[in-house]
Amino acid sequence: MTAAADGTTGRYLVLFDDDWSNGTQELNRVAGIRTESSEDGGATPHLWEGDGLMMHELGVALVTADDDQVTALASAADEPGPIALIEPERFVRAIEPTDTVTEAAAAAVDETLFTWGLQAVGAPNSTATGKGVKLAVLDTGFDLTHPDFAGRTVVHESFVQGEEVQDGHGHGTHCIGTSSGPRDVEKGPGYGVAYEVDIYAGKVLSNEGSGADGGILAGINWAINSGCAVISMSLGAGTQPGQAYSRTFEKVATRALEKGTLIIAAAGNESDRRTGRIAPVGHPANCPSIMSVAAIDVARKIAYFSCGTVDTIGAIDLSGPGFDVYSSWPMPLRNKRISGTSMATPHAAGIAALIAQATGARGYELWARLSQKGLRLPLPSTDVGAGLVQAP
Amino acid sequence: MAEEQVVISVADDQVDDMASVVAALREAGLRVAEVLDSVGVVTGTVDGDALGFLSTVPGVVEVERSREFQLPVPDEPTH
Repeated sequence: MTAAADGTTGRYLVLFDDDWSNGTQELNRVAGIRTESSEDGGATPHLWEGDGLMMHELGVALVTADDDQVTALASAADEPGPIALIEPERFVRAIEPTDTVTEAAAAAVDETLFTWGLQAVGAPNSTATGKGVKLAVLDTGFDLTHPDFAGRTVVHESFVQGEEVQDGHGHGTHCIGTSSGPRDVEKGPGYGVAYEVDIYAGKVLSNEGSGADGGILAGINWAINSGCAVISMSLGAGTQPGQAYSRTFEKVATRALEKGTLIIAAAGNESDRRTGRIAPVGHPANCPSIMSVAAIDVARKIAYFSCGTVDTIGAIDLSGPGFDVYSSWPMPLRNKRISGTSMATPHAAGIAALIAQATGARGYELWARLSQKGLRLPLPSTDVGAGLVQAP
Repeated sequence: MAEEQVVISVADDQVDDMASVVAALREAGLRVAEVLDSVGVVTGTVDGDALGFLSTVPGVVEVERSREFQLPVPDEPTH
Protein backbone atom coordinates (compact mmCIF):
# COMPACT_ATOMS: atom_id res chain seq x y z
CA MET A 1 0.00 0.00 0.00
CA THR A 2 1.55 3.34 -0.94
CA ALA A 3 0.74 6.62 0.71
CA ALA A 4 -1.19 9.31 -1.09
CA ALA A 5 0.43 12.77 -1.04
CA ASP A 6 -1.75 13.63 1.93
CA GLY A 7 -0.47 10.63 3.94
CA THR A 8 -3.69 8.56 3.67
CA THR A 9 -3.83 4.82 2.94
CA GLY A 10 -6.81 4.75 0.55
CA ARG A 11 -9.07 2.99 3.05
CA TYR A 12 -11.71 4.55 5.28
CA LEU A 13 -12.80 4.57 8.89
CA VAL A 14 -16.55 4.49 9.45
CA LEU A 15 -17.71 5.65 12.88
CA PHE A 16 -21.03 4.43 14.23
CA ASP A 17 -23.42 6.07 16.69
CA ASP A 18 -23.68 4.75 20.23
CA ASP A 19 -26.09 2.01 19.22
CA TRP A 20 -24.29 0.13 16.48
CA SER A 21 -25.87 -3.29 16.95
CA ASN A 22 -26.92 -3.45 13.31
CA GLY A 23 -23.82 -1.65 11.97
CA THR A 24 -22.67 -4.55 9.80
CA GLN A 25 -26.07 -4.79 8.11
CA GLU A 26 -26.10 -1.05 7.56
CA LEU A 27 -22.72 -1.07 5.75
CA ASN A 28 -24.07 -3.79 3.46
CA ARG A 29 -27.40 -1.99 2.85
CA VAL A 30 -25.90 1.45 2.15
CA ALA A 31 -22.74 0.61 0.21
CA GLY A 32 -22.78 -3.12 -0.45
CA ILE A 33 -19.77 -3.59 1.81
CA ARG A 34 -19.38 -6.99 3.42
CA THR A 35 -17.18 -6.93 6.51
CA GLU A 36 -15.69 -9.44 8.85
CA SER A 37 -16.62 -8.79 12.46
CA SER A 38 -14.37 -8.91 15.46
CA GLU A 39 -17.38 -10.54 17.15
CA ASP A 40 -17.06 -13.72 15.10
CA GLY A 41 -15.35 -16.60 16.84
CA GLY A 42 -12.25 -18.34 15.65
CA ALA A 43 -9.00 -16.76 14.42
CA THR A 44 -8.66 -13.00 14.67
CA PRO A 45 -9.80 -11.51 11.35
CA HIS A 46 -7.06 -9.83 9.35
CA LEU A 47 -7.50 -6.16 8.64
CA TRP A 48 -6.59 -6.56 5.01
CA GLU A 49 -8.91 -9.43 4.04
CA GLY A 50 -12.35 -8.95 2.49
CA ASP A 51 -13.96 -5.56 2.15
CA GLY A 52 -13.13 -4.61 5.69
CA LEU A 53 -13.35 -5.26 9.40
CA MET A 54 -16.07 -4.22 11.88
CA MET A 55 -14.39 -3.53 15.22
CA HIS A 56 -17.42 -4.41 17.24
CA GLU A 57 -16.08 -3.27 20.62
CA LEU A 58 -15.24 0.18 19.29
CA GLY A 59 -18.16 0.90 17.00
CA VAL A 60 -15.70 1.60 14.17
CA ALA A 61 -15.33 -0.21 10.82
CA LEU A 62 -12.24 -0.16 8.61
CA VAL A 63 -13.38 -0.55 5.01
CA THR A 64 -12.16 -0.61 1.45
CA ALA A 65 -14.51 1.57 -0.65
CA ASP A 66 -14.61 3.02 -4.15
CA ASP A 67 -15.74 6.58 -4.83
CA ASP A 68 -19.44 5.64 -5.22
CA GLN A 69 -19.43 3.71 -1.98
CA VAL A 70 -17.71 6.64 -0.18
CA THR A 71 -20.41 9.01 -1.51
CA ALA A 72 -23.17 6.67 -0.32
CA LEU A 73 -21.62 6.35 3.13
CA ALA A 74 -21.11 10.12 3.43
CA SER A 75 -24.81 10.67 2.61
CA ALA A 76 -25.82 8.07 5.18
CA ALA A 77 -23.68 9.89 7.79
CA ASP A 78 -25.69 13.07 7.16
CA GLU A 79 -29.03 11.24 7.58
CA PRO A 80 -30.46 9.69 10.73
CA GLY A 81 -29.08 6.19 11.23
CA PRO A 82 -26.24 4.31 12.88
CA ILE A 83 -23.52 5.59 10.49
CA ALA A 84 -22.12 8.81 12.03
CA LEU A 85 -18.94 9.64 10.13
CA ILE A 86 -16.59 8.50 7.39
CA GLU A 87 -12.99 9.63 7.16
CA PRO A 88 -9.81 8.53 5.35
CA GLU A 89 -7.40 6.21 7.17
CA ARG A 90 -4.02 7.91 7.86
CA PHE A 91 -0.48 6.52 7.98
CA VAL A 92 1.30 7.09 11.32
CA ARG A 93 4.94 6.61 12.36
CA ALA A 94 6.95 6.22 15.52
CA ILE A 95 8.34 9.50 16.93
CA GLU A 96 12.14 9.12 16.72
CA PRO A 97 14.41 10.90 19.23
CA THR A 98 16.25 13.78 17.48
CA ASP A 99 20.03 13.99 17.42
CA THR A 100 21.19 16.10 20.34
CA VAL A 101 22.55 19.50 19.45
CA THR A 102 25.69 18.52 21.28
CA GLU A 103 26.44 15.62 18.97
CA ALA A 104 25.81 17.67 15.84
CA ALA A 105 27.84 20.63 17.07
CA ALA A 106 30.75 18.56 18.35
CA ALA A 107 30.98 16.78 15.02
CA ALA A 108 31.23 20.18 13.28
CA VAL A 109 34.21 21.52 15.31
CA ASP A 110 37.44 21.80 13.34
CA GLU A 111 40.46 22.87 15.39
CA THR A 112 43.02 22.65 12.58
CA LEU A 113 43.67 26.42 12.48
CA PHE A 114 42.07 27.84 15.62
CA THR A 115 40.66 26.47 18.86
CA TRP A 116 36.89 26.12 19.04
CA GLY A 117 36.91 28.87 21.65
CA LEU A 118 38.54 31.39 19.32
CA GLN A 119 35.98 30.52 16.67
CA ALA A 120 33.08 30.81 19.12
CA VAL A 121 34.06 34.37 20.10
CA GLY A 122 34.62 35.41 16.49
CA ALA A 123 38.31 36.19 17.01
CA PRO A 124 39.75 34.93 13.69
CA ASN A 125 37.52 37.30 11.68
CA SER A 126 38.29 40.37 13.80
CA THR A 127 40.83 42.95 12.68
CA ALA A 128 41.62 43.88 16.30
CA THR A 129 44.80 42.44 17.86
CA GLY A 130 45.08 44.10 21.28
CA LYS A 131 48.13 46.09 20.21
CA GLY A 132 48.87 49.00 22.53
CA VAL A 133 46.60 47.63 25.29
CA LYS A 134 47.96 46.29 28.58
CA LEU A 135 46.25 43.13 29.89
CA ALA A 136 47.07 41.80 33.36
CA VAL A 137 46.48 38.19 34.32
CA LEU A 138 46.62 37.61 38.10
CA ASP A 139 47.23 33.92 38.66
CA THR A 140 50.05 31.40 39.28
CA GLY A 141 52.51 33.41 37.17
CA PHE A 142 53.85 32.54 33.72
CA ASP A 143 56.39 30.27 32.03
CA LEU A 144 58.78 33.00 30.89
CA THR A 145 60.69 30.45 28.77
CA HIS A 146 57.65 29.38 26.69
CA PRO A 147 58.61 29.29 22.97
CA ASP A 148 55.12 30.31 21.75
CA PHE A 149 55.71 33.75 23.34
CA ALA A 150 59.12 34.55 21.86
CA GLY A 151 59.25 38.26 21.00
CA ARG A 152 56.23 39.21 23.16
CA THR A 153 56.25 42.01 25.75
CA VAL A 154 55.87 40.34 29.17
CA VAL A 155 56.03 42.50 32.28
CA HIS A 156 55.95 40.41 35.46
CA GLU A 157 55.83 40.71 39.23
CA SER A 158 55.37 38.20 42.04
CA PHE A 159 53.14 38.94 45.02
CA VAL A 160 53.69 35.52 46.56
CA GLN A 161 56.21 35.66 49.36
CA GLY A 162 59.23 33.51 48.64
CA GLU A 163 58.28 32.61 45.04
CA GLU A 164 59.34 33.95 41.65
CA VAL A 165 56.84 34.67 38.88
CA GLN A 166 57.99 31.58 36.94
CA ASP A 167 54.88 29.36 36.85
CA GLY A 168 55.34 26.13 38.79
CA HIS A 169 51.66 25.19 38.58
CA GLY A 170 50.46 25.77 34.98
CA HIS A 171 47.14 27.53 35.48
CA GLY A 172 48.55 31.03 34.94
CA THR A 173 50.39 30.04 31.77
CA HIS A 174 47.18 28.49 30.38
CA CYS A 175 45.10 31.61 31.12
CA ILE A 176 47.72 33.96 29.66
CA GLY A 177 47.77 31.73 26.59
CA THR A 178 44.02 32.05 26.09
CA SER A 179 43.80 35.79 26.67
CA SER A 180 47.07 36.85 25.02
CA GLY A 181 48.69 33.92 23.22
CA PRO A 182 49.49 33.41 19.53
CA ARG A 183 47.15 32.78 16.58
CA ASP A 184 49.88 31.27 14.44
CA VAL A 185 51.72 28.37 16.04
CA GLU A 186 54.22 25.94 14.56
CA LYS A 187 52.32 22.91 15.79
CA GLY A 188 48.64 22.90 16.68
CA PRO A 189 45.88 25.50 16.49
CA GLY A 190 46.17 29.20 17.29
CA TYR A 191 44.76 29.76 20.77
CA GLY A 192 45.18 33.42 21.82
CA VAL A 193 42.47 36.10 21.64
CA ALA A 194 44.47 39.36 22.02
CA TYR A 195 47.64 38.13 20.37
CA GLU A 196 49.47 41.49 20.26
CA VAL A 197 48.53 42.74 23.72
CA ASP A 198 51.20 43.77 26.28
CA ILE A 199 51.19 40.92 28.81
CA TYR A 200 51.30 41.77 32.52
CA ALA A 201 51.80 38.55 34.47
CA GLY A 202 51.13 39.00 38.18
CA LYS A 203 51.72 36.03 40.42
CA VAL A 204 49.13 36.14 43.19
CA LEU A 205 48.71 32.37 43.58
CA SER A 206 51.56 30.12 44.66
CA ASN A 207 52.97 27.22 42.69
CA GLU A 208 50.55 25.09 44.72
CA GLY A 209 47.69 27.27 43.49
CA SER A 210 46.95 28.96 46.79
CA GLY A 211 46.61 32.63 47.65
CA ALA A 212 44.76 35.17 49.75
CA ASP A 213 42.92 38.48 49.40
CA GLY A 214 45.98 40.53 50.34
CA GLY A 215 48.11 39.21 47.49
CA ILE A 216 45.29 39.58 44.98
CA LEU A 217 44.65 43.17 46.01
CA ALA A 218 48.36 43.91 45.69
CA GLY A 219 48.26 42.46 42.18
CA ILE A 220 45.24 44.60 41.30
CA ASN A 221 46.99 47.68 42.63
CA TRP A 222 50.09 46.93 40.52
CA ALA A 223 48.02 46.39 37.39
CA ILE A 224 46.19 49.71 37.85
CA ASN A 225 49.46 51.54 38.53
CA SER A 226 50.88 49.99 35.38
CA GLY A 227 47.99 51.33 33.30
CA CYS A 228 46.34 48.01 32.49
CA ALA A 229 42.96 48.34 30.79
CA VAL A 230 41.90 44.82 31.76
CA ILE A 231 42.64 42.55 34.72
CA SER A 232 41.80 38.85 34.29
CA MET A 233 41.34 36.83 37.49
CA SER A 234 40.62 33.11 37.07
CA LEU A 235 40.38 32.58 40.80
CA GLY A 236 37.76 32.51 43.45
CA ALA A 237 36.51 31.23 46.74
CA GLY A 238 33.21 29.37 47.03
CA THR A 239 30.22 31.14 48.57
CA GLN A 240 26.92 30.16 50.20
CA PRO A 241 23.58 31.39 48.86
CA GLY A 242 22.74 34.69 50.51
CA GLN A 243 26.34 35.39 51.50
CA ALA A 244 27.24 39.09 51.19
CA TYR A 245 29.93 40.11 48.68
CA SER A 246 33.16 41.71 49.88
CA ARG A 247 32.68 45.45 50.35
CA THR A 248 36.43 45.92 50.05
CA PHE A 249 36.69 44.19 46.70
CA GLU A 250 33.60 46.06 45.51
CA LYS A 251 35.18 49.38 46.53
CA VAL A 252 38.44 48.41 44.83
CA ALA A 253 36.62 47.40 41.67
CA THR A 254 34.69 50.69 41.56
CA ARG A 255 37.90 52.66 41.98
CA ALA A 256 39.51 50.57 39.28
CA LEU A 257 36.66 51.30 36.86
CA GLU A 258 36.94 55.01 37.60
CA LYS A 259 40.63 54.80 36.75
CA GLY A 260 39.96 52.97 33.50
CA THR A 261 40.64 49.37 34.58
CA LEU A 262 38.03 46.64 34.11
CA ILE A 263 38.33 43.62 36.43
CA ILE A 264 37.00 40.34 34.98
CA ALA A 265 36.74 37.24 37.19
CA ALA A 266 35.67 33.61 36.94
CA ALA A 267 32.16 32.84 38.19
CA GLY A 268 33.30 29.59 39.83
CA ASN A 269 33.02 25.84 39.22
CA GLU A 270 31.10 24.72 42.29
CA SER A 271 27.92 23.70 40.44
CA ASP A 272 27.02 20.23 39.28
CA ARG A 273 24.11 20.76 36.95
CA ARG A 274 24.11 17.06 36.09
CA THR A 275 22.51 16.54 39.51
CA GLY A 276 20.54 19.78 39.36
CA ARG A 277 22.79 21.72 41.73
CA ILE A 278 23.59 25.33 40.80
CA ALA A 279 26.08 27.07 43.11
CA PRO A 280 26.13 30.85 43.60
CA VAL A 281 28.78 33.05 42.00
CA GLY A 282 32.01 32.91 44.02
CA HIS A 283 34.12 35.66 45.62
CA PRO A 284 35.21 38.09 44.22
CA ALA A 285 33.28 37.67 40.96
CA ASN A 286 30.07 38.20 42.94
CA CYS A 287 30.90 41.89 43.41
CA PRO A 288 28.63 44.03 41.22
CA SER A 289 31.57 46.04 39.86
CA ILE A 290 33.56 42.95 38.89
CA MET A 291 32.52 41.33 35.62
CA SER A 292 31.74 37.64 36.25
CA VAL A 293 32.12 35.07 33.47
CA ALA A 294 30.31 31.73 33.14
CA ALA A 295 31.45 28.79 31.01
CA ILE A 296 29.75 27.36 27.94
CA ASP A 297 30.71 24.25 25.98
CA VAL A 298 31.26 23.56 22.27
CA ALA A 299 27.50 23.18 21.73
CA ARG A 300 26.94 26.58 23.39
CA LYS A 301 25.27 24.95 26.34
CA ILE A 302 26.09 25.95 29.90
CA ALA A 303 28.95 23.84 31.30
CA TYR A 304 27.86 21.47 34.05
CA PHE A 305 30.13 23.06 36.65
CA SER A 306 29.36 26.71 35.88
CA CYS A 307 28.10 28.79 38.79
CA GLY A 308 24.93 30.79 38.27
CA THR A 309 22.91 33.73 39.57
CA VAL A 310 21.26 32.04 42.53
CA ASP A 311 20.40 34.98 44.79
CA THR A 312 20.19 38.76 44.46
CA ILE A 313 23.84 39.16 45.52
CA GLY A 314 26.13 37.60 42.91
CA ALA A 315 25.18 37.75 39.24
CA ILE A 316 26.58 36.30 36.02
CA ASP A 317 27.50 39.09 33.57
CA LEU A 318 28.76 37.26 30.46
CA SER A 319 29.86 33.83 29.28
CA GLY A 320 32.84 32.44 27.40
CA PRO A 321 34.20 29.14 26.07
CA GLY A 322 35.19 27.11 29.12
CA PHE A 323 35.13 23.44 28.15
CA ASP A 324 38.00 21.48 26.63
CA VAL A 325 40.09 24.61 26.04
CA TYR A 326 43.49 24.15 24.39
CA SER A 327 46.18 26.65 25.44
CA SER A 328 49.79 26.96 26.58
CA TRP A 329 51.28 25.06 29.53
CA PRO A 330 54.74 25.25 31.17
CA MET A 331 57.51 23.48 29.27
CA PRO A 332 58.21 20.73 28.45
CA LEU A 333 54.48 19.87 28.06
CA ARG A 334 54.03 23.11 26.07
CA ASN A 335 50.22 22.81 25.58
CA LYS A 336 47.27 21.32 27.46
CA ARG A 337 43.47 21.11 27.38
CA ILE A 338 41.56 21.95 30.54
CA SER A 339 38.06 23.09 31.47
CA GLY A 340 36.62 25.64 33.85
CA THR A 341 35.20 29.12 34.26
CA SER A 342 38.95 29.86 34.61
CA MET A 343 39.18 29.29 30.86
CA ALA A 344 36.07 31.29 29.97
CA THR A 345 37.43 34.33 31.84
CA PRO A 346 40.58 34.94 29.75
CA HIS A 347 38.46 34.63 26.58
CA ALA A 348 36.39 37.55 27.91
CA ALA A 349 39.51 39.45 29.01
CA GLY A 350 41.12 39.05 25.60
CA ILE A 351 37.92 40.23 23.89
CA ALA A 352 37.88 43.22 26.26
CA ALA A 353 41.43 44.07 25.15
CA LEU A 354 40.40 43.84 21.48
CA ILE A 355 37.44 46.16 22.07
CA ALA A 356 39.64 48.53 24.09
CA GLN A 357 42.03 48.79 21.15
CA ALA A 358 39.32 49.08 18.49
CA THR A 359 37.20 51.71 20.27
CA GLY A 360 39.43 53.32 22.90
CA ALA A 361 36.83 52.36 25.50
CA ARG A 362 37.91 51.91 29.12
CA GLY A 363 36.25 51.19 32.45
CA TYR A 364 32.45 51.46 32.48
CA GLU A 365 32.28 52.12 28.73
CA LEU A 366 34.30 48.97 28.05
CA TRP A 367 31.86 46.96 30.22
CA ALA A 368 28.95 48.42 28.25
CA ARG A 369 30.53 47.54 24.90
CA LEU A 370 31.29 43.97 25.99
CA SER A 371 27.65 43.47 27.04
CA GLN A 372 26.33 45.19 23.95
CA LYS A 373 28.31 42.91 21.65
CA GLY A 374 27.50 39.74 23.55
CA LEU A 375 25.92 37.02 21.41
CA ARG A 376 22.52 36.41 23.02
CA LEU A 377 21.99 32.72 23.67
CA PRO A 378 18.69 30.84 24.17
CA LEU A 379 19.73 30.21 27.78
CA PRO A 380 18.68 31.89 31.04
CA SER A 381 20.44 35.18 31.75
CA THR A 382 20.99 33.81 35.24
CA ASP A 383 23.38 31.37 33.59
CA VAL A 384 24.98 33.40 30.77
CA GLY A 385 24.30 37.08 31.53
CA ALA A 386 24.30 39.14 28.34
CA GLY A 387 25.50 36.12 26.34
CA LEU A 388 28.69 34.90 24.69
CA VAL A 389 31.51 37.47 24.41
CA GLN A 390 32.23 38.49 20.80
CA ALA A 391 35.21 40.14 19.13
CA PRO A 392 34.74 43.56 17.53
CA MET B 1 45.04 35.80 71.03
CA ALA B 2 45.12 34.66 67.42
CA GLU B 3 46.60 36.86 64.73
CA GLU B 4 44.25 37.83 61.89
CA GLN B 5 45.08 38.78 58.31
CA VAL B 6 42.98 41.78 57.29
CA VAL B 7 42.26 43.98 54.30
CA ILE B 8 41.11 47.52 55.05
CA SER B 9 39.39 49.94 52.68
CA VAL B 10 39.78 53.70 53.26
CA ALA B 11 37.25 56.42 52.45
CA ASP B 12 37.15 57.94 48.97
CA ASP B 13 38.35 61.30 50.19
CA GLN B 14 41.38 59.74 51.88
CA VAL B 15 42.61 57.69 48.93
CA ASP B 16 44.87 60.41 47.53
CA ASP B 17 46.65 60.90 50.85
CA MET B 18 46.58 57.77 52.91
CA ALA B 19 49.49 58.57 55.22
CA SER B 20 47.40 59.82 58.14
CA VAL B 21 44.97 56.89 58.00
CA VAL B 22 47.86 54.44 57.84
CA ALA B 23 49.49 56.07 60.88
CA ALA B 24 46.21 55.89 62.81
CA LEU B 25 45.81 52.21 61.91
CA ARG B 26 49.29 51.49 63.22
CA GLU B 27 48.35 53.26 66.45
CA ALA B 28 45.32 50.99 66.67
CA GLY B 29 47.48 47.87 66.44
CA LEU B 30 47.71 47.06 62.74
CA ARG B 31 51.02 45.62 61.53
CA VAL B 32 51.00 47.04 58.02
CA ALA B 33 51.96 44.71 55.16
CA GLU B 34 51.06 46.81 52.13
CA VAL B 35 49.65 50.25 51.36
CA LEU B 36 47.90 49.94 47.99
CA ASP B 37 47.62 53.60 47.02
CA SER B 38 45.80 53.18 43.72
CA VAL B 39 42.89 51.33 45.25
CA GLY B 40 42.81 52.85 48.74
CA VAL B 41 43.47 49.58 50.59
CA VAL B 42 45.78 48.72 53.48
CA THR B 43 46.64 45.10 54.22
CA GLY B 44 48.27 43.64 57.30
CA THR B 45 47.90 41.60 60.44
CA VAL B 46 46.34 42.42 63.79
CA ASP B 47 45.82 40.64 67.08
CA GLY B 48 42.30 39.28 67.46
CA ASP B 49 41.35 41.55 70.34
CA ALA B 50 42.28 44.69 68.37
CA LEU B 51 40.41 43.63 65.21
CA GLY B 52 37.08 45.04 66.27
CA PHE B 53 38.50 48.53 66.90
CA LEU B 54 40.08 49.01 63.48
CA SER B 55 36.81 50.09 61.91
CA THR B 56 36.60 52.98 64.41
CA VAL B 57 39.75 54.56 63.02
CA PRO B 58 38.81 57.79 61.17
CA GLY B 59 38.94 57.38 57.40
CA VAL B 60 38.33 53.60 57.46
CA VAL B 61 35.19 52.37 55.69
CA GLU B 62 35.65 48.61 55.65
CA VAL B 63 37.65 46.00 57.57
CA GLU B 64 37.50 42.40 56.34
CA ARG B 65 39.32 39.19 57.12
CA SER B 66 41.50 38.12 54.21
CA ARG B 67 39.99 35.11 52.39
CA GLU B 68 42.06 32.17 51.21
CA PHE B 69 42.05 30.86 47.63
CA GLN B 70 43.01 27.40 46.40
CA LEU B 71 43.11 26.14 42.83
CA PRO B 72 42.38 22.49 42.11
CA VAL B 73 45.44 20.43 41.18
CA PRO B 74 46.13 20.47 37.40
CA ASP B 75 44.67 17.06 36.62
CA GLU B 76 41.30 17.68 38.31
CA PRO B 77 38.34 18.03 35.93
CA THR B 78 37.75 21.75 36.40
CA HIS B 79 39.92 24.83 36.88
